[in-house]
This record gives sequence, C-alpha cells and structure tokens, in this order.
Amino acid sequence: MSEQKPVDTLKAIGLRITEAITEGRFPVVDLPNRGTDNIEFDAELNQFVLGESKVKRDSSNLKHIRSFAQLTWVAYFAKQLLDSNRTSSLRDLYYSSEAFEVRFNDQGESDRIITDLECLTGQPREAFGIYPEEHSSVFGSVKMNYTVPGYEGREVDLTLSPDGLPIGRALMTAEPAETDAKMILAVESGGMFSRLIETKAWKRFRAILVQLGGQPPRSTRTLMRKLHEAFDLPVFLFTDGDPWGMHIAQVVKSGSANAAHISGLTIPNAKWIGVTPADIREYSLPSEPMSSVDLKRLDELARDIRYTGHIWQKHIAEFRSLRRKAEQQAFSRYGTDFVVETYLPDKLE
Amino acid sequence: MTVINQSVEGFRSISPAEFFYRNRQMAGFGNSTQSVYSTLRELVENSLDACEDAQCIPKIRITIDSLPSDVLSIRVADNGTGLPYQQVPEAFGRVLYGSKYDQKQKRGTFGLGVTMAILYGQITADSPVFIHTQNSSGPGRIYSLLIDVEKNLPIIENEREKSRSKDGTTVAITLRGDLKRAKERVVEYIRLTTIASPHAVIEFGFDGESTEVVGGWSHKVPDAPVSSKPHPRVADLELLRRMMARSPSTKIHDFLVDSFQQVGTRTATRFLKFVGIDPGLRIESLTRADITSLSLSLRRFDGFGPPDSRCLSPIGEEAFLLSVESLFSNSWMQYSKRSPSEWQGHPFFVEGIIAVGNEFPKGDTPTLYRFANRVPLLYDASDDILTKSVKRLNWKHYGISVPMPVALFIHFGSTKVPYRAAGKQSLAHMKEIETDVTGLIRSLGRSLRKFACRKEQSKRDARKMQEFSEMFKIVTKYGPALAEVEPPSSTTHMVRSLFEVNTDV
Repeated sequence: MSEQKPVDTLKAIGLRITEAITEGRFPVVDLPNRGTDNIEFDAELNQFVLGESKVKRDSSNLKHIRSFAQLTWVAYFAKQLLDSNRTSSLRDLYYSSEAFEVRFNDQGESDRIITDLECLTGQPREAFGIYPEEHSSVFGSVKMNYTVPGYEGREVDLTLSPDGLPIGRALMTAEPAETDAKMILAVESGGMFSRLIETKAWKRFRAILVQLGGQPPRSTRTLMRKLHEAFDLPVFLFTDGDPWGMHIAQVVKSGSANAAHISGLTIPNAKWIGVTPADIREYSLPSEPMSSVDLKRLDELARDIRYTGHIWQKHIAEFRSLRRKAEQQAFSRYGTDFVVETYLPDKLE
Repeated sequence: MTVINQSVEGFRSISPAEFFYRNRQMAGFGNSTQSVYSTLRELVENSLDACEDAQCIPKIRITIDSLPSDVLSIRVADNGTGLPYQQVPEAFGRVLYGSKYDQKQKRGTFGLGVTMAILYGQITADSPVFIHTQNSSGPGRIYSLLIDVEKNLPIIENEREKSRSKDGTTVAITLRGDLKRAKERVVEYIRLTTIASPHAVIEFGFDGESTEVVGGWSHKVPDAPVSSKPHPRVADLELLRRMMARSPSTKIHDFLVDSFQQVGTRTATRFLKFVGIDPGLRIESLTRADITSLSLSLRRFDGFGPPDSRCLSPIGEEAFLLSVESLFSNSWMQYSKRSPSEWQGHPFFVEGIIAVGNEFPKGDTPTLYRFANRVPLLYDASDDILTKSVKRLNWKHYGISVPMPVALFIHFGSTKVPYRAAGKQSLAHMKEIETDVTGLIRSLGRSLRKFACRKEQSKRDARKMQEFSEMFKIVTKYGPALAEVEPPSSTTHMVRSLFEVNTDV
C-alpha cells in the first residue's frame, strides 16, 4: 500500500499525464496485471496477491485510449470527492460520468475502471470516497469514535438502532473505542441478523453481530478486521449450507481473486461454523438437492488453493456425498429459537 | 427470269434511295427528334473524319435555326480537307455511293447516312441540301442538290464557284423537326462527342442565340489510323467476287498475296494446299464452286495471323481520362483497355473508364456511356451488347453495396462496327466482342471495388480518428485538472501525426 495521502497519489498521476502531453508524448501508465495467471496465493498472508507482471496502458493505442480516458476521468472524479469531502457510490459515479461526457457502456465497465484506479494507486476505492451501493449492517456492544469530517470525535454506540447500523464510510473509518463483546458473529442473511438481535442472542453470546448479505462489501470486511484487531476478538462466520455460503466465509478469511490488488481485508483466523454438511445430517435440516451448478462449483472449490486444508476438503467431500444443501432459515423447522437456544451454543462453545 | 417478270403483274424494282426512305426508321429517321439528331450526327462524323484526314485540330461550328412551320435548318461547317469537286454530287446525292472497302477505323461510312438525311429533308421540307466546300486545288464551290428517289441519282439544282475563307466543308440541310424537343439530345451528343474526340473543338448555337464552345480538352491530334488490306477472314462470297472482278487474269496465289493482309507467299501456298486449288490457276478460270469453297476456307483456315491493329484508333488513356474529367467532375476514375482482338477477321479493341462523381445518377449499376469508333451512341441502349454486359454483372461484388454515383465510359473501335441496324445506335451480339467487353468491365469493376474498399477504410479511419480524438480530449482535459495545472496547448497535431499513415490513402 502506498504511503502517500490518496489525494497526492491522484495528483501525481495527473502530473505524469500532463508532463507527457506537454512534451508531445502520449502518456502511458503501468498497471499490475490482473489476469488470472498473475494472481498468486500468498500462504504467509493467507490471501491472494498480484504477481510482478505489469500491463501498459498506452494512450496512443487505439484499443487503450478509451479506458485510458475513463481512468483519467475516474481519477479526476475521485480527487473532486476528496477535495470536497464527499463520497459517492459506484452507481452514482457511473451516472455522473454522463455529465462529463465520459461514456461507459454499463456500470460493470465503470466498476472495472475503478478497480484499475485501485491497482494504479495501490489504495482501495474507499480511500477515495467511493463505496458500493449496498450496505451491510452491524450491531453490538461497541463504542466507536467517528473520524469523518463534521463528526470528528463523536462517539457512536453500535446498539443505537435495533435494526443495526449501516456500514458506510463513517463507520469504516471510525476508531474502535471500547467493547465488552467476546466475539464477532457474522451471518449471511438479514433474517438471521434480525433474529439474533430480537432474541437478544448478541447479549447471551456477547457477540458483535455483522450482516454479510452475500459476498460482503469491502467496507464491511475492513470494519470486521479493524474490530478483530483492535479488541483481539475471534470471528465466527455463519452462512447458508451450500458451496456459495462456504465460499463467503472463505473470502472473509483469505480474500478474493477480485480484490487481490488490495491488502488489509482478510481475517485468516476467522472460523466458519456452518451450516456445514455435517450439520445438515446431524440436525436433520430440511434440505434441497444440489443443482448441477452447485456441484460444478464444488469441483472448482476442490481445486482452489484456498481449500487445500484438510477441514475444507472434508467439507467438500461431505457435500459431494450428501448432494444436498440447506439455508440458514432451515432451522425454523424446530421453532424460531432453536438456533439461539441449541445450534449456536453447540457451535460457539 | 423473263418468265417471272411476265407473270407477276405490277412488280417493279425500287432504288436503294426509295427502299431506305420507306424503311427510314432503320436508318435512324423514325421520328422528327431522332431525325434531327441523326442528321447532325452524320454531318459531324463526316466533318471529324475529314479533319482526321487533314491531321488538323477539328474546329466545327454547328448552328440550328427554327424556320416557320416546324422546319429546321441544320448547318455544320468544318476545317477539314474539303471535298473533290467532281465527286460532290455523287457523294451526297446517291444512296450507297461510297462503297470503299477501306480497312481502317472511321466514324462515318460515307454512303447511306448523309444521303438519308438529305432525302429526309427533301421530302419533309421540300428543300435541297447546300454544300459549300473548298479544297487545296482552288477556289471553293457551292452546290444545291436534290435526289431523284426513283432513279437513285443526284439532281444538281445549282452549282457555282464561291470561295471560302479556309479549306473545309459546310453542309446545310433543312428538314422538318422540333428544336425544343431535340435540343437536349443534340447538346448531349455534342458534349459526348468531345469525350470520344478530345481534340475536337465544337462551337454550337441555336436560333441565333449566343454560341457555346465545348471540347479542345486535348491539343494533340491523334495518330491517323493506317489503312490496311482486308484480313482473309473478312472475305465473304460477295466481297471475294468483287475483288476478283478487278484482276481476272491474276494467278490465284498472287491474288491472295496482293489482296489480303497476313498472307505472304508461304501462307498463300499452304492455304491453297489446304483448299486443294492449284496456285497457278488464273482467277478467270475458277468455277463458282471453287470460289464458294475458297470463301469458306478463308474463314476456316487457322494459318492466318491476327489482323493488323494499326488501322485502329483508340482514344487512349491520357486523352480519355482528360476528356471525361473535363466534362464531369469526378472524385475518382480509372482507365482500362483490352489488347486488340478480332471478330470474324475485323480487328477491334475495347477501352473504358469507370468514374465516381456526384454528377452521375446514383444506382445499383453504373450509368453507361457508349462509344463506337469515337462516336457516342444515344439511342437503343437496351439492345446493346455493352449495356447487356454491364447489366449482367453483379455489381455488389464490385463495391456497389449501396447505390453509388458511378459511370462507365466504354469505347469500342473496329474497322467494322457490327451495328444492329442502319441507324448505328447499338452493337450486335458477337461472341468475341462480348468476351472482351466483359473482361474490360470486370477489370474496371475490380478497380472500383478496390476504390470502394479504400474509401470505406479511410472512412473507418476517419471515424476512428474522430473517436480517438474525443477520447484523447478527455485525457488532456482531466489529466491537467487532476494535477491542478493549466491544460497544454492544442494537441491536434499529436493526434494527426498518430493517424498520418492511415489518412493519406
């Protein structure tokens, strides 16, 4: 990660571009190659990282000029955000581009250009005030101090709202102050998150609850890691009992290929508590047969370097022999409180 | 013979003049507009040929004036060699007079055309033809002539000495016609004539209005075609008999060598062996069967060389391009030609230009301009072999994917033009000609395709440059804005130099 302040990093890029043009040269930037052949698993960091290979983006190249122009504009847009202390969602940025006569075919394209900017600067988009649209939430007995402009030093209690607090720029950058929690419990679905709040399970387990909502946004992962490090709390991950849920947990642990250029997001010690294939059998959970897509995903994961550990291979093998999957909600079969009264105590002890 | 004459009551012979008058549409005098055009054309062709004989730049003056009761006076004056005085009445006043079997490319064939025009004038406007000519032999003469239709003989109304400022010929014919209706065709004919004869200068005026001058695109008189003896394959029975009649006592071997091109003593000997006739035999002792067999064999024998092409007169690449460019503003054109070939012993060539320019109508096939022996053909296009050959091609394969303003100018030249009718407006279907015409059109089509591809490519390049330029503008705008510095001065030169290679097509 760059030691420079984000705004200076962006300015430096602008200077390099301007310098080249003034000298009559077409500016060129070097970006780390994000191709799959340049993504390696760093066993020490327990996360994916980019290799040494770089690609040139050359503004004199007809195939590059479009993305070069888009990248220049995204950098400019990011600097405007920082200069004016604003944030923007990925979607917002995509729509703003029209006003600047910069064209993106779709949001996917602008999202990729933002990833280019992260690669170029070595800093996550959140450092430039760019966040994804969806918010996941947090709830728990934690006090934090805001650092965002206008709220500097103000304290926030994460039990403030019974709905949980959305994790945005403010919470992501807030400094952890104190907690009496003993663990961080991250759950996949919003339903489960609400239930754990309503049933006061967070009190019983002394847990900070995090709603992941599918693959969690980076701000959520950043906050989890920050809390994990600041208070030395163990992290438990509770997802659906299928390859996709298992992989949500894995990404929180070891990082994703998509964010291999960003460091500081992984929590190697986090533990997946379930729903494991063994749970489906032991608790006789209502389950569905796996689709061919699920089975194919299992095959992919079986070959994935992040799953080389014995435990993981065992989970995969059990899923394969079971050929069934179960959602978190499947526990409802045994009444609304079964998870809190029985399952979680079993798992967290 | 006598028996037949007696038994068919009322049967009598008609003269060629009468025959052609009765069938005047065959000769291009079917209606009054076409008659104006055909008359002018015959006169202009004769004038251009006369100037070619004189090897001078033709300066031709055309005036057409309306007279009372739908009658027109057409007057064409040239600066050619003038005519031999004693031949004037016969040349103008007798149908099929000029029966020269001259083997060289000429525009007109003195004989039918102009006489037909005179006849038409005489009958529709009851008016004689005036011919004022002067040659190097002395002061000029002026004639007024009529034709005795039944006897096919000239009637000299008046003849006297009258000097002309320069050598040359002026012919004035008065006939029924409507100038208003014929004008457009006439002007088109005059303009296109200067394409086929780029050195000719034509001044023309109607009804005393101010005159206009076209032509003179090239200042070089084209090389005169060389007259040559007929090729043996040309000799049909009729021609052979006539040639033989001139020298009855010559030995057949010597007759062949003297009368035909591509026949030397060795070829003549080989040929006679092929026919099985004694080379020493005198012409007069040949039987009818001998002559028939000779005529057939002359066309079948494959030991004769191809006909001499020095008797042809193509417009040529430089002059042809120059004249087309002078009359039409083109954005692109390409010339192509085929090497001389023959049809039934007559040497011929085809040459052509394909041109793209906004003056041509847009279409799926090129607009065709036809020329034969340096004469533009304006009527009967649909039956013409040139038209059919152009239509037959799938022009989509030659770069016309959307309607394009393309034109083809095709010039056919031969010692004999196979016109479909005496009106000399369209070329008949001859396999040999068709093959060469198609070859020529294909080669011009390939040039068009290349041009269209290049144009498409440069359009694509221009579009690419435009897109690039827009994108680069974003870089030059937001790069400096990001750095909080002033944007650099114009960068168009950078973009242009990047695309230089591609846009210079």
